[in-house]
This record gives sequence, C-alpha cells and structure tokens, in this order.
Amino acid sequence: MDFVLRRVATAAVLVCIVASIVFLAIHLVPGDPAEILLSAGGAAPDAATVAELRDRLGLNLPLQTQYANFLIGVVHGDLGTSLVDDYPVLDEITLRLPRTLELIAAGTLLAIAVALPAGTWAGLHRDGGFDRIASGVAAFVLAIPVFVVGTLLVLLLAQTLHLMPAGGYVAFAKAPGQHLLLLALPAVVIAKGLAAVLFRMTRSAVLDVSQRDYVRTARAKGLRPFNVLLWHVLRNALSPVLTVLGLHMGALLGGTVLVEYVFNWPGLSTPLLRAVESRDYPMVVGIVLVVSTLFLMINLITDLLRAALDPRIRAA
Amino acid sequence: MITTRRSLIAATTALPFLHRPARAQARPGYLRYGLSAFPPNLLPWDSTGASAGTVKMLIHRSLVAWERTGQLQGELATSWAIDESGAWVFKLRPNALFHNGEKVTSEDVRWTIEQVAGEKSTAYMRAQFQNVVRVETPDATTVRIVTKEKIATVPAWFANYNMFVCWHKSDPKAPIGCGPYRLVRQERGTSVEVAASPNYYKPGLPKLKSILFTAYPDENLRNAALRSGDLDMIEYVPWQSMASVEADPRLALAETQGAAFMDVLFNGTRPPFNDPRVRRAVAHAVQRKDIVQAAFFGRGRTLEGVPIAEGSPYYDDALAHGWNYDPTRSKALLAEAGMASGFSCKMLSTAQFGMHKDTAEIVQQYLAAIGIQAELSLPDWSTRVSLGTRGQYDLAIHGVSADSNDPDGLAVVMDTSLSPSHGRSFGVQAPRTIAALARGRAEFDEARRIEVYKDMQRAALEEVPMVGLAWRSQGFGMDKRVAGFTNLPGALSTSSGGMLEYTSFA
Repeated sequence: MDFVLRRVATAAVLVCIVASIVFLAIHLVPGDPAEILLSAGGAAPDAATVAELRDRLGLNLPLQTQYANFLIGVVHGDLGTSLVDDYPVLDEITLRLPRTLELIAAGTLLAIAVALPAGTWAGLHRDGGFDRIASGVAAFVLAIPVFVVGTLLVLLLAQTLHLMPAGGYVAFAKAPGQHLLLLALPAVVIAKGLAAVLFRMTRSAVLDVSQRDYVRTARAKGLRPFNVLLWHVLRNALSPVLTVLGLHMGALLGGTVLVEYVFNWPGLSTPLLRAVESRDYPMVVGIVLVVSTLFLMINLITDLLRAALDPRIRAA
Repeated sequence: MITTRRSLIAATTALPFLHRPARAQARPGYLRYGLSAFPPNLLPWDSTGASAGTVKMLIHRSLVAWERTGQLQGELATSWAIDESGAWVFKLRPNALFHNGEKVTSEDVRWTIEQVAGEKSTAYMRAQFQNVVRVETPDATTVRIVTKEKIATVPAWFANYNMFVCWHKSDPKAPIGCGPYRLVRQERGTSVEVAASPNYYKPGLPKLKSILFTAYPDENLRNAALRSGDLDMIEYVPWQSMASVEADPRLALAETQGAAFMDVLFNGTRPPFNDPRVRRAVAHAVQRKDIVQAAFFGRGRTLEGVPIAEGSPYYDDALAHGWNYDPTRSKALLAEAGMASGFSCKMLSTAQFGMHKDTAEIVQQYLAAIGIQAELSLPDWSTRVSLGTRGQYDLAIHGVSADSNDPDGLAVVMDTSLSPSHGRSFGVQAPRTIAALARGRAEFDEARRIEVYKDMQRAALEEVPMVGLAWRSQGFGMDKRVAGFTNLPGALSTSSGGMLEYTSFA
C-alpha cells in the first residue's frame, strides 16, 4: 500500500509542477492572443480593436493574478474557457480525449497483436529466416517518419486506389463501418513504430529468458512446451516489454499530433496545436495538464502492473 | 450454412469494405465542403479569417454583396444613393426575414452600425464606421447614414464579410442573421453544418438543402479528400496541385488571378529603410518571376508596382511596372543614399506558410546580389504577427488580400498612418500616397477617381510604403457536378463563399 501511495503522491506533485511550468512558459512566448485572433487570414486589425479585445479577455490583468485565477479554477475543476470562442476547456477535452485514446488504444492493440507473437517467434528461433526478415522490417519501419507513411497511405489507398477515405472522423454510433474505416489508417501509422519497438524488446527478452536455468528445469521436468513458454518464458519476459509499452503509450499522447493532423482525426492533438498557434492560453494549459496527468497515470499503472508481475519491485 | 466464430470475425472485419467508402457519404442536395481552417468563431463583425467568412456569408446578409463580375448588388437593400447633403440613403427590401421570423428593418441596420462602431467593439470595420456621425431611420425600410465627410466607399463597406446586418434584439454574442442558410450544428475544430433557411427572401434560393463544412487544415489532405471523393468542394487548392485537379476528368478548378499578393514591408522608423531611396533599391532588386515559379508553381503573376490588377479601370501599364527588375538602378539608388557598399539587416517572415518562406528566401538572395545582407527570421505566424506590429524588423515579407478590388481596398496595406499592424509597413512616411488615398475615398466622379488613383500610384512608386512582389491565384476545386459557383474576381475571391447560395448539383 505504501508503494502505491508513494507513487500517487509523486505523480500529483509532478502534475502541479508541469501545470505551473506550462502556464508560465506559454505566457512568455511572444504573441498576443487578441491580435492573433483578429489577424486571421492576414487581416490588419485596428490597434484600438485589439486593445479592447485584450481587455475583454482579461489579458491586461497582472500575470500573478491570472496564475492565481488559474490555480483556483483547477482546484474547483474548472480549466477556464478558450480565448478564441469562450468554449469551456474541459468540454473540449471531454469531447476530444476519448478519440485520441481510441486512436492510441487501436494502435497499441494492433502493435501488440503483431509484435508479441512475432517477437516471441523470432526470439525462440534466433537467426532463422523469420527472425532475419522481421528484424529487417522492424528496422525499416522504425526509420520511416509517421508523416511519410501517413501521406503515402493516403496517396495510395485514398487518392489513387479510392479504397479508403483520405481522413476525417465519423462517430461510431452514427456509422460504425465508416468509423472503423477512418480509424484504420491512423491506427496502422500509430502502430508501426510501437510494433517495431515491441517486437525488438519481446525478441530480446524471450531470447534472454528462454536460456535461463529455470526454463531449462521446467523443460527437464517434462512440462509441455506451450506451458513453458506461457508461464516461464513470457511471464518473465513481459516485464521489460510492459515498461517499454507504458513509456511509449505515454509518449503517444503527444506523438499523435502528426498522425491526427495527417488524417484529420479530431483528437486532442489538433486543438492543442491550434491553441499553441493562437496562443489560447487556457486551452494550452488545460490540455497539457490533462495529457501530463494521463502520462503519469499510465506510468503509475505500468509500475503497479510490473510490481504485480515481479514481487521484487514491490520490495525495492 | 454453419456460422463459426472464425467466419463471424472475418465477416465483421470485411464489413466496412463492402462498398466504396469515398462515395458513401454523398446525398442529394447536400454539399461537403473542405475548409482550410476551422472558423475560430462565427461572430458576424469580428475578422476571424476567410474560412470563417465563407460560413458567415451563408448565415448572414448585409445591405449589399459582390456579384459574379465583382460589382455591388443589392441584398437587404434594393437601392442606395447619396443625397444632396452627402449622406448615404439605403432603401430596404420589405420581404426580408431573420431566421427567427422577424422582419429586417432599418432599426436593425442602425443597431448593427452601433454595435460595430461602439467603443467596446472588436469589429473589423470599426474604424470605418466610426466615421458615421448618426444613422437615421425615417421609416422601416429607409436608412440614412450621415458620415463626418462625404465618403464614396460606404456601400462597399457593407459588402465586407465582416459586416452583416443582425436582428436588433439579438444577444451581441450570438446575433441572429438573415442569410440563405442557418446554423444547424457545429463541432468545435471539426465541422459546421448549415441548412437552407425557409425564411430566405430570394425565391428558389438557396439551391442546396444543406452544406457540411469540414476543416482540413492540411492542404494536401484537403486535396486528397477532394480527389478521393470524400468532399465535393474545397477552398485554397494548393498551387502545386492545381494542374492535377484540372487534369482530373471528374473535377473542375475555379481559379482567380490576383486574389492576393506578396509584398515587402519596411520599418521606416530607423535607418536604412527610413530612406525612400533604399526602399526603392529593394523594389528594383528582385526578379519576381522566380517567386511566381518557386512559391506559386507558376500560378501567379509578377507584381512590379502598386497592386492594382490588369483590367481594372485604375490600372496603368507604365505605372504597373514602375518597380521593374533593374539591379543596376538598385545599386545606383543605394550609392545615392550613401550605402554603396551595402549593409546588413533583419528580414522577418514566417516558416508556417510555405509561400511566405519561399518568397523571403528568394528576396534574400536578390538583396544579397546588390549588397544587402538580410538575416532571415522565420518564427511561427503568431510571433511574426507580434514582431510585425511592434516594428521589430527592418524589412518583412507578407502576403495579403486587399479589402476589395477598388483601390481604396489597398488602404489596409498602404496607409501607413493607420495604427501599427503586421500587415503594413511600420512608421514609413508616405504622405502623398496617403493623401491620394483619402482624396480617392472622397471622390464620387469615376473619371476623376481614376486620375486620383494614378496620382496615388505615382506617389507610392516614389515613397514606397510597400513593395509589390507577386500576385497569387486562388482556386476552388470541385466535383464537376457542382454547378452555379463562381470564384469572384481579384481580391474578392475570399468573398466567393456568398456564391454558395447559387450552388447546386447538376
């Protein structure tokens, strides 16, 4: 229990620090939200109009007052409203976050479904034909940037072959088939890097564990090969794989930006990008706060799962 | 037939592939339109970009609008004229209704002008309408607008897509309009859907039942979505893709030349660009055709003078090439200004838009050829705006569209006496240019206006409040079945959204 409490307390402190840093950092970046909003499309707004909007948006308040208001809001579960259209930040996150999580979940499941069996097989049959080919493919896939893969998929499957939509989003409840189609390409692009990393990690972990004494003992006892693999090899090999998976899933929260942009998937990354561009302070801080909280939660869960798998971690 | 778990999984997996998804969304009377940016908001008087303007033009209407050839046509107003005392009198149509069923009256026009010109207003047209002394409403269909001095361009103010007439009892945060479509739903950052208004005053219009606007900020994806059939129509076809859209037998391209232009801005508050000779040296130093090719893939034209398009009555061929490419003259002008050995300076642009960056890099090379070493600064757009407004640059590369095809629409770029803006030179003294712009604004006789604006061009060529570089074209891509849409000429291209009321499927 102490282990869990310690981890939770550390995560909470980190979230506070991240929120404060982001709040101050975004206010220090050059750019006036009022001026940017009124300059859309290259328009040249009147200075008095900009001044009036600044006043209306509360941007003339001292920074410490804005910071205090932000902290009071956070304590009350209120992340404020967008400077662009007065839309509640929390509502935007509530709408968008599930889509980003869905994309990450789909990509992760796809990556696990491909990488774990392939990595295990490659680890058990080291230097075999499959191992060589799969390792080469993994290295190749890792080397190609996501936006290149995404753009090529759109060019080939949407623009040339007309087999898939180029991008966009339809709610699952509205059109399940279309929803899955629209999810497919971005999920594949998200999965490709993760799958390559998981494949390599699984391969080396299986390779390492399968040569341990306790595995040899299990085989010598006459256990069925499948049971040896499942209960002795994979259970022990999964711990480092899980750590990598946790870290990468956290990183994907920020890493989906390009994928969401390329496929026009309306997740959380797009409003974050737009908010940074337009210096929409409450939106930027709110989204980063939520993303960093999720990142820390994923790592917390990973730690707890690893502790469940390996009692030595609990004792440490 | 026995249904196994395996066959069920296989069938479920194949389900989405049973039809061509690209065509699955098309419905009769329903247009799918790809916006280049999601409208930050739909407030009728705030300037929030051309994409927002496209949607706003459908929800709202003003007294007048631009018709297909670029002339003003009546919308809520059936006629307008200036009376003997110099006030503009608009007669309103009696049958126009707001979306809530209320009649459009002169009181609504008066309230709208008050909102726009008010002290707390953030309207784009605020400065113009602060020239209005009072608005009189002698009856429900007559509006008399009295300005501080006689202004010829008042009717054109009402054609701007940030100047719509709204119901006078509206909440100013959500004003009610009287356009051909009404807002049905929107998902922030993603899509906006409008449906035909049953109250619209033009019989038989709008032709479509509804329009779904979806934001595709990535220009390549927007183009791919059009080509794959996900969308029926897109705005801002990327220049590099225009040829492929034209070549696609299923698609059509509506292209307008001179929709916007690239220019050089100066900081005139300090040396070296406080000297007009140095600014003229820059004007003669750049070979424009390279910009047209590199930044716009040939989809543009060189601009060697004040941005007045060929074909306009205010165009003068000699004046239009007053800043022709002549590096020898540039060097002579620098020598005359005491800078024969050249100098170093900071050039501001942005890396966020490819055409700005490409143009800046070409200009940088040509300036180096005459001895001006320009250190390029390419921050994001927001920082570019901030630095530009504060004059934190020596020269800057900008891209903009005039407010209208009338030369007065250039005031937003050339009148450096207006408040500092990223889109105008900073502190450049151009008194003769500014005076000519003011004279043109007050002149009602067309022949005399032409002469005034030729004077303005002559003055600008010498005072150099900005330097024109290249016209760029703007294209709408659409399925060939989309009919009735016109890309408006020149600077009015960004107002073409209003044409969607005439658009339908053939």
